[in-house]
Amino acid sequence: MSGRSPSAAVRVLSIEEEARRFLRLRATVAWETLGSMFAFARLRLSLVVLLSGLFWASLYGLFLEAFAFLAALHADVVSLLFNAFFSSLMVMLVFSTGILLYGGMYCSTEARLLLTLPVRAETIFGHKFQEALWFSSWGFVLLGSPMLVAYGVEREAAWPYFVLLLPFMIAFVVIPAAVGSMACMLMVAWLPRLRVHALALAATAGTVATAWIGWSTFSPARIDTMSAAWFERTFARLAITEQKLFPSWWLSSGLIEAADLGRGPGGTWAPLLEALKFLALLVANGMLLHLMAGWIARLAYRRGYSQLIGEAPPRRQRPIGWFDQALVNAGSAAGRPLRLLLVKDLRLFRRDISQWSQFLIFFGLLGLYFLNLRSFVYNNVYASMIGFLNLAVVGLILSTFTTRFVYPMISLEGRRFWILGLLPVHRDQIVWSKFLFSFVGGVIPCSALVLLSDWMLGLRTPLLLVHEFCCVVLCLGLAGIAVGLGARMPELRESSPAKISSGFGGTLCLVISSLFIMLVVIIAALPTHLFLLTHALGPTAVASQGLLTWAAGAGGMAFSLGLVALLGLAATAIPLSMGLRAFRQLEP
Amino acid sequence: MIEFDHVTRTYATKTAVADLSLAIPRGELFALLGPNGAGKTTTIRMLVGLLRPSRGAVRVCGYDVVKDPRHAHLHIGYVPDEPCLYDKLTGREFLWFIADMFGMPRHLAGQRIDREIEHFELGEFADDLAESYSLGMKQRLVFAASLLHDPDVLVLDEPMVGLDPRSVRIVKDLLQQRTREGMTVFMSTHTLAMAEEMADRIGIMVRSQLRFLGTVTELREQMALESTSLEQLYLRLTSPLAGRETEP
Repeated sequence: MSGRSPSAAVRVLSIEEEARRFLRLRATVAWETLGSMFAFARLRLSLVVLLSGLFWASLYGLFLEAFAFLAALHADVVSLLFNAFFSSLMVMLVFSTGILLYGGMYCSTEARLLLTLPVRAETIFGHKFQEALWFSSWGFVLLGSPMLVAYGVEREAAWPYFVLLLPFMIAFVVIPAAVGSMACMLMVAWLPRLRVHALALAATAGTVATAWIGWSTFSPARIDTMSAAWFERTFARLAITEQKLFPSWWLSSGLIEAADLGRGPGGTWAPLLEALKFLALLVANGMLLHLMAGWIARLAYRRGYSQLIGEAPPRRQRPIGWFDQALVNAGSAAGRPLRLLLVKDLRLFRRDISQWSQFLIFFGLLGLYFLNLRSFVYNNVYASMIGFLNLAVVGLILSTFTTRFVYPMISLEGRRFWILGLLPVHRDQIVWSKFLFSFVGGVIPCSALVLLSDWMLGLRTPLLLVHEFCCVVLCLGLAGIAVGLGARMPELRESSPAKISSGFGGTLCLVISSLFIMLVVIIAALPTHLFLLTHALGPTAVASQGLLTWAAGAGGMAFSLGLVALLGLAATAIPLSMGLRAFRQLEP
Repeated sequence: MIEFDHVTRTYATKTAVADLSLAIPRGELFALLGPNGAGKTTTIRMLVGLLRPSRGAVRVCGYDVVKDPRHAHLHIGYVPDEPCLYDKLTGREFLWFIADMFGMPRHLAGQRIDREIEHFELGEFADDLAESYSLGMKQRLVFAASLLHDPDVLVLDEPMVGLDPRSVRIVKDLLQQRTREGMTVFMSTHTLAMAEEMADRIGIMVRSQLRFLGTVTELREQMALESTSLEQLYLRLTSPLAGRETEP
């Protein structure tokens, strides 16, 4: 060390001291965040807790039934299913942690601050790794815990099984997270130019592989669904996930051993020892990989950060500029300002990776699920019910997008009001352009997905038309609610769309949207369901009362569709008119 | 204190900083001027260790910022062009975090935090969450944080953005006082009046090269323009035709 000594007031910290200070920082931030939520976002917090609880309980019930069913059929199936489930999650965790760490370590302003402090690169990595691990794995805990608890209850496992669940899950998630973080750091440091292409290729390969596995696992089994042959064929294909070198196998084997505690001859403790052996294997590998990731951070983090901010920004190419131009020129001159606003929003959407990538991932996964519906044989009543449930799922996913991305649009526009305010554009046109953008952007993928679902379920044309009608009504209503409430309750000081959508207005938008979807689907589904039941089981099935008979007939169906139309009209017109009025009087 | 030793930084095929050699001694206030895209931000980023030079070395108090960033950072205080704070920390908590990261003893950290809160008149809002601060308040807090550990070198990237006139005066007085006490200031700015008023030496970068290095008086002499403002000198030096006139 040849430099000048610092004053006695400052010194470089040991790695333990650095870690303790980051821990204190995290605790303070978490405490303040919770305090703010309790003080200013009680509704949101209550809804999150309530909905998470409901979600957990529903999953628990579902898994309990499923395990009881599987135990009656094939006792060894669980190992196979656990392996398939955990290995899929493992792959997803690798990607999600890598992507989250990329955002946290290379794109955040916090990283810029921390890199100018006298802190080790590996400590900054450790700090951001914990954050990424938390955000990427809470879904795993929410989804995995009801399944594993249900398994333990169904197997009547002893208490050590339930005690070991959390350590097993934590030890497991560290492994894919560490792998994802290493891949991320190495890629940024040594493949800067290829980074985007590599990520895109990996994501595409992952999606294709998942689709292929899903399709090839289930598609040929249409003829003999749920039969012994079907199970055997499916299990043979799932066996690919049963690799003894995979952490997912260690996890599932450890949990199954723990659940078997006390079942052996004389109720021995041998299964517990086996389970602990697998836990130790997970912990040891997790720690080793975390250590390796820290070592890579020491070598590659500062280098990668420099590499990334030192890249020349890509020149914007406009391969579909002709489309925008055609859209602007189509139609009358009077509607040109509206179309210009639409094109502007379309360009912003195309250039915001977070928007279209989430759109693609969620609707893509839904499409994948719908494609696999063909694997099962349904009767008309069951297929119709699934069709309506799929319609509700499409609507719920769309509502999360309208809340997350459409609701904040007016607020964000309000911040640029000085631009729009000077243009010869009526304020109403701004609101209408958002509504059109949301409706058209929603109705195209949603109606296509509903069509795919109905086609795969083998539904007849009249039912398909009912579903499509409901889908259009849902898209209209959801666009109206998001745009109307967004204009009625704009938050002009906030620049982050995520913060705008997570405030009171955004929460209200999500709640109203969910209620609207449930109402539409229930009103449309009830008479259809009764009608199909009558045809499937004969008139006596639902004809015990006059009202039900009427509801199951053509009159009931027409009435329900009329009600759906009215509901859609109300959900579109009321919030929109409120929003238009408020936006006209807005003083930024 | 600060040493750029034949530093070059390229972005793909574009050279952002070309063969920069510059030494700034203890107690000097140096202002780096130049038009947008001249390479000022790249120079600052290399100085604070965010960006690595493609060639050459940057040293602060003898420490290479690439090879020994932690020891170099012990001597540096940095005020970026956009203040970065934790929204969910109060101003005081943020200052404690910074003091902790520099390994300052608790009693000394407490004294310094009180000192900077007083200097930058942060008392009224020091215990509010940073998410409620205006840009000027954030900038004052970042200034306070950068001076907590009494750095040998203070690096400022457009430091007056968002500050009201009173805060600007506070910062100017403080910089003059600290440089008298031996702190070196490296400042990038577009505010020519401030550079003229405060800087011991100025550097003018044009298209990735340090076109001028010296005092304002020396610049006047070099351009043979007596009693001319720095603004006029700067505009002449940075005009697109200037390179052809001055380069050999």
